[in-house]
Amino acid sequence: MEALIQTTSLRCLDRLDYPPLFILEGGATFITGESGSGKSTLFRLLNGTLSPQEGTIFYQGQDIKTRDTIALRRDLLLASQEVFLFDGSIAENFAEYYRYREAMCPSQEAMQGYLSLTCADFPLDSRCETLSGGERQRVFLAICLSFEPSVLLLDEPTAALDDETASRFFRQVKAFAAEKGMTLLVICHNQGLVAQYADRCIRLEGRAM
Amino acid sequence: MKGIVEIQIGQFFLIYLLLLVVLLIMKRCQISQSKLLIVASIRMTVQLTLAGLVLTYLFENPHPAATLSYVALMTAFSIVRVLGKHKDLNARFRLVIGLSIALPGLAVMAFFIGIVVGESLLNPQYVIPVAGMILGNTMTGTALGIKSFRESLAGQRARMMALLNLGVRPQQILLPFVRKALETALLPTLNSMLGLGIVALPGMMTGQILSGTLPTTAILYQIAIMIAICTVVCLSTFSSLYFGYHTLYNKRNQFLL
Repeated sequence: MEALIQTTSLRCLDRLDYPPLFILEGGATFITGESGSGKSTLFRLLNGTLSPQEGTIFYQGQDIKTRDTIALRRDLLLASQEVFLFDGSIAENFAEYYRYREAMCPSQEAMQGYLSLTCADFPLDSRCETLSGGERQRVFLAICLSFEPSVLLLDEPTAALDDETASRFFRQVKAFAAEKGMTLLVICHNQGLVAQYADRCIRLEGRAM
Repeated sequence: MKGIVEIQIGQFFLIYLLLLVVLLIMKRCQISQSKLLIVASIRMTVQLTLAGLVLTYLFENPHPAATLSYVALMTAFSIVRVLGKHKDLNARFRLVIGLSIALPGLAVMAFFIGIVVGESLLNPQYVIPVAGMILGNTMTGTALGIKSFRESLAGQRARMMALLNLGVRPQQILLPFVRKALETALLPTLNSMLGLGIVALPGMMTGQILSGTLPTTAILYQIAIMIAICTVVCLSTFSSLYFGYHTLYNKRNQFLL
């Protein structure tokens, strides 16, 4: 079976060593490992916002160094743990992100649909400054999801959610991804969720696999 | 118009009595800057005395090389002052700032003296005071612009990374910060232009009037210098930030902050 993403051994930031990785297209691949094992850094390597000191990353069989980085990041979209929302309403946030991406903003119904997928069923005119940390993360994830990238990299998307909501989040997002032919790569610490929703799992253990 | 009344040196020293008032207030309010007040007053006196002596010599013995050296020294000093506050900036950004202070400053000064006033570019009586005013304001404006740009970036890492991860170009991410900093740098100059003539008679005009120049002539000089200053502050800040911000990311569109 051909890999969507394949890497040789990677070295990064003078301290992180990754074994060769092989990630298949479709479904949800979960990345687990202790804090400091380099999970979030791996995501940055994959979307090209950070370059490895050693090693090569192939996406769709092509070395990512030879690809346009902006197009690559739109294809492998990283919803990082570090959430950012502009001051203003949820609808204004969608509009602002789409303005930056120079793309047509989704309709209000579509926005509400994406929010519902990420368990963020808030009115579109809710001010983002007044939302809690967890609520802000889900709104941010809805915006990321709305771009419908080929690969969505989710860095601890459910860390601030209770088990029931986290479960609903993964069920809905996985169904949506399957429908759209999207591949999910997820960093998650909750073993119960990993067992329930991971189609494949990669465990990073510090410096070595 | 009458020429200026020479200040007698004995009477001149009376002005220092005013500093005692400042010192008294500082002591009363327990402001711990009295040492700085004394150091600043002494430094100002020594620096201006030296400048006065050098300028007197230069005006009596004008020499193109001496005039150019003086201007070069002023330019270098203003660049060092601005860069001194941003030692951690990358080398390319620092080079851009240096060139952005020197080139627009010297070009507008040449235009002001050579074309608007119609004097020789090597006449120290014109070149040195005008260069001082232009470079002094450029230094303040550019320093303010760079400071404001960097401070606004410092608190916005999450925003920058979120946009970068969503496939937005670094140029698009940084440009709003450049625009904001340019605005911040220009505002003091624009505000001072608003108040001129009503609240404040600026230094250059006051000096010319005191030395016997007709106020109508002094006004023309003042208007010209204000426009020159506004242009140079705008040009140097714009060029520092506009060409400088490109050094904050690499060819792989990764931030180098």
